[in-house]
Amino acid sequence: MLGFCFSARKVLISGAAITLMASSAIAQNVVVAIDPGSAESNLYWETIGGLIPPHMQSLVGNDPETGAYDNSGLAESWEHNEDFTSWTFKLNPEAEFSNGWGPVTAEDVVHSAALHVGEDSRLSGIQALRDATVTAVDEHTVRFDLPSPEPDFLFLHAGRAVLLIYSKAQFEAEGLEGYAENPAGSGPFTYVSRDLSNTLKFAPVEGHWSGVDVDFDSLELRFVGEPATRLAMLLSGEADIVSLPRELQADAVAQGNEIVSSAQASMQSAMVFSGLFMNSDGPAKDLNLPWQDVRIREAMNRALDREAMIDILYEGRAEPLTVFSMDPRFDGYVPDLTENFDDSYGYDPERASELLAEANYPDAFENRVIPIAATALAGNPEFGLMAELAQSLFADVGLQTEIREMDWPTLQNARVGFTADFVHPMRNAPVRPNAIGVLASHTTHLSPAYSIGSPELDEMGAELVETKEPAERANIVENMFTYVFDNYAHMPIATVSAEVVINPERVKGWQFPGASSSGFSHFHLIDTVE
Amino acid sequence: MKNFVLIKIIEAMIALWVITLIVFGLTHLSGNPAGALLPDDATQEQIDFLIQRLGLDQPLHIQYIKFLGGALQGDFGMSMKWPGEPAMGVVFDRLPATLLLGGVAMFISIVIAIPLGVMSAVHKGKTIDSVAQGIALIGQSMPSFWLGILLIWAFAVGLKWLPTSGSGTFMHLILPAISIAWFQISALTRLTRSSMLEVLDAEYIKLARAKGVSEPMITWKHALSNAAIVPLTYFGVLAGSVLTGSVVIETVFSWPGLGWTAIEAIKARDFPVVQSVVVVFAIIFILANLLVDLLYAYVDPRIR
Repeated sequence: MLGFCFSARKVLISGAAITLMASSAIAQNVVVAIDPGSAESNLYWETIGGLIPPHMQSLVGNDPETGAYDNSGLAESWEHNEDFTSWTFKLNPEAEFSNGWGPVTAEDVVHSAALHVGEDSRLSGIQALRDATVTAVDEHTVRFDLPSPEPDFLFLHAGRAVLLIYSKAQFEAEGLEGYAENPAGSGPFTYVSRDLSNTLKFAPVEGHWSGVDVDFDSLELRFVGEPATRLAMLLSGEADIVSLPRELQADAVAQGNEIVSSAQASMQSAMVFSGLFMNSDGPAKDLNLPWQDVRIREAMNRALDREAMIDILYEGRAEPLTVFSMDPRFDGYVPDLTENFDDSYGYDPERASELLAEANYPDAFENRVIPIAATALAGNPEFGLMAELAQSLFADVGLQTEIREMDWPTLQNARVGFTADFVHPMRNAPVRPNAIGVLASHTTHLSPAYSIGSPELDEMGAELVETKEPAERANIVENMFTYVFDNYAHMPIATVSAEVVINPERVKGWQFPGASSSGFSHFHLIDTVE
Repeated sequence: MKNFVLIKIIEAMIALWVITLIVFGLTHLSGNPAGALLPDDATQEQIDFLIQRLGLDQPLHIQYIKFLGGALQGDFGMSMKWPGEPAMGVVFDRLPATLLLGGVAMFISIVIAIPLGVMSAVHKGKTIDSVAQGIALIGQSMPSFWLGILLIWAFAVGLKWLPTSGSGTFMHLILPAISIAWFQISALTRLTRSSMLEVLDAEYIKLARAKGVSEPMITWKHALSNAAIVPLTYFGVLAGSVLTGSVVIETVFSWPGLGWTAIEAIKARDFPVVQSVVVVFAIIFILANLLVDLLYAYVDPRIR
């Protein structure tokens, strides 16, 4: 009897030990090393919205594979009125905040919207919510009444995430300090801590209301500015997932690590012209920019060997782009332009030289030297090289250029102040619905600084803003893209996925759509090696 | 001596005021922070609010007077990159990490450089002198960030003995401290060596030898106590170099100190934090030099 008891105890102890070993085997802290953000705060509206913290949620989610809007966010369904000025969201009744702050209700959405549109808001795209009236219809129904039609309202909630939902109950109990110290969210993680400029830590929510089950024990986002250090972190096992410039990715892969790409394109790149160059009354008139002449714009486009650029800049892992801000996933896409791309934009240095001669370049131009801004932008480490490559290709056809080193804020300030007289690399992150993209990147309607100054295009943009009927809108967008294409208004380069490098001994994979502002999302889908 | 101290303090105050002028001018010359702090598609409303909040809509001289007035009371405004944090709060939060790293780097520099310089001088032309000269040459020719990355590669990635970056344990300190110290070791070694060579040739050393004083006593007591005045003067520079060196090294090692904060603040055009960091760096630098001047005057009465 004693022997049996002893054996049973041994078995129990062994069982407990095995259980402990098993649990320690699956205990995994996932460390993701990325670039530091431009602003760091637990108050999301005080950032530009580049990184959606894994503990927070928006009303609308994205499918991890297709990027399509889905109900993986806080709303289980939504509807809009006929003219897209009123959107109603039904919240998932199961949704609840972490740390015991209760269910997510329509009042939380109203409260959060008020915070997000405050004067101190820096969020990208927040203007779309500024004049909205947000009403709690009932406990789980919230309505947004908008001053003008917003057919792409779901993009603002999903891809751009201009509105994350905070707990009103927590605010009433703790105020903004509570949010700053320990913000409750409704996502699959809870907030643990933030060490400014260093780390953000999260823990998975056990038995999350959505049914999401995270397969690791904690998530740590490390902000590391030096790419070589991020590579070293991966190689030494200190980080499991890192973002790396492409020139360092090869070193990481050579050591047995793997590249994981977003399921969908997350960004478009282009070389863009500055100044209101299609507006004869605008500031560009005084600058006498060479690219005011469409023949110069075509020559510059034809001077670019895009295939070589994609190979060099993106190691071939990118698709050629037809028109900057046009994407085949959204209404308004014009397949004909893609089919005609080679005829109109294909690499043809001879034709480029002919066009320059036809335009009497350089003799006919007061400012014959074309400045190219070489700049760095987080998440776009290839921009400097892109500028140098473009300079080399332009030189081949006889264009005189100079590289101007400048940081992104200086470039931005010049564009906002309409004093920019250079061409420069540009990116569109995240890839937007075509109607938003064409308005923001080419007209005065959403981002005036990026307007090319064409009165004709602005007129079409104004018509688009007022039009509600989907087919008609698509038609206008198509016409706008065709206009941009025909007038060589930009130098489109590539459509690119967001990429990270993973240590396959620790992480099996990570499915994310690339649809968010930073490209990275769906942290709960990081699949670890158990 | 009192007059000497007073003059030095007045000089330090003037230097600090000039530094506030320079840092204020440079940060404002660098352009509007809107481009760094706001998204690409920021509305005019967002830009205007930010400019107003920073007081950038006021004439430059008014901005400077307000800045100086606030600075005198220790108020450098609120950080823009880290909203909700007072700029000086961010600085004081990060200062201990930099002082710790700098202190360890200085300790390593002194512990290695002084004996190495002395030995190099005593054994001039021999192997140890060649080694010391070689170390000095390498240290002064190799950029510290490059050395930092090499150290990470060797000791963190290759040997896995030390962490690549971050902070929290003594192990995290080793690589960044060596990276900062390396240049200082070479500079201090050369200074100590040349100073010792000069002193070792002096008449009183010859007299000591003639009296039969032991060589270690001559080297480490009689010679070094006189030769040390030159390396001592260098400590002011050393303190400044350690601080400026921390800007690069803290970035490479993600060390959460003032240097890393400065880089992040500059990238974000966070004027209040940049100004705070520079003023704090300047104060430390000025204080270190003031201390050295006073010590120098104390040690050598001719200076007074």
